Amino acid sequence: MQSCYRALPLLVGFIIATATMTFADIGQIKNVSGEVFLLRQTVQLPAKAGDIVQQSDVLITGANGAVGLTFIDNSRLSAGPNSRIELKQFRFNPTTQDGEFVTDVQRGTLAVVSGQIAKRSPDAMKVKTPTTILGVRGTTFAVKVEE
Amino acid sequence: MLASCATVQPAPKVNTYVVLLPEEGGAPSAVIVGEGASALTLDRPYNAATVDTGGEIERKNPTAAEANQTFAAALAAQPPKPISFTLYFETNSTQITQDSRPQLEALMAEAARRQAVEVQVTGHTDRVGSDADNDRLSQQRAEAVRTMLVQNAIRATFIRAVGRGEREPLVPTADEQPEARNRRVEVILR
Repeated sequence: MQSCYRALPLLVGFIIATATMTFADIGQIKNVSGEVFLLRQTVQLPAKAGDIVQQSDVLITGANGAVGLTFIDNSRLSAGPNSRIELKQFRFNPTTQDGEFVTDVQRGTLAVVSGQIAKRSPDAMKVKTPTTILGVRGTTFAVKVEE
Repeated sequence: MLASCATVQPAPKVNTYVVLLPEEGGAPSAVIVGEGASALTLDRPYNAATVDTGGEIERKNPTAAEANQTFAAALAAQPPKPISFTLYFETNSTQITQDSRPQLEALMAEAARRQAVEVQVTGHTDRVGSDADNDRLSQQRAEAVRTMLVQNAIRATFIRAVGRGEREPLVPTADEQPEARNRRVEVILR
């Protein structure tokens, strides 16, 4: 226990970080390269590793941009250049693992590794594009949308 | 008359291209393209399809190299898979066993390697002792691991340490039975 007390000041930062995680947080940006923006409602800011994402957020990458995210159900999404991806609907109960995850690829490229939501229920994860809808049966795939 | 009024429909063009990629460990997987009668199932690695602006779905068969090239930038940005580690503890102690030292080192190395890592630390005990004592001990074990992560300067964006007492044994036992495999901390890096 002695060492725990000595580390206390160091822990304070983490406790604050913990407190800032709220119910609305669905995942986190893990890596960013080139130009990447996170659009929340009407506010668009440059994205960086560690940024927390919420339902309805939109990720926008520039001509040299790429971004990777991990979600609370362990799903992983990553987008290549010139992409516009909306995290349209996200709901996950960590206890029952029930949920719903709908991503809207408006343009660009997106690679998907599905997580607990798709594993738990075959119709719970979908990726939409302007011309079709993709049903995810627990899987790794990639989609490209041209305007 | 009618002919002169007719508007020229633009020819449909490809809008969406989707490729099923190999699953880790070769587990079965599938993507269903579209809905209803015209839906197409992709269920083999590198099965692919295009969907044009008229909604027409067409099956494609790219090579692995072609698919990997099309999605090179997105695939390169894929975050690492969440990973879990199990560390074992001495009886009634927050001391990690000698045998678990390599796992601890592997955990620290992996945590240091990951960008913006989130850490979930869950402590457990065997069934020797009271529930209350085991709740406390499991929490202390989890806190001990958290402290080591902090002392190793792991730059986590989120770290949570919880104790689950003797509620979730790895190996079910009778009450008051010592079991080394249940004296453990599980760490998930995401």
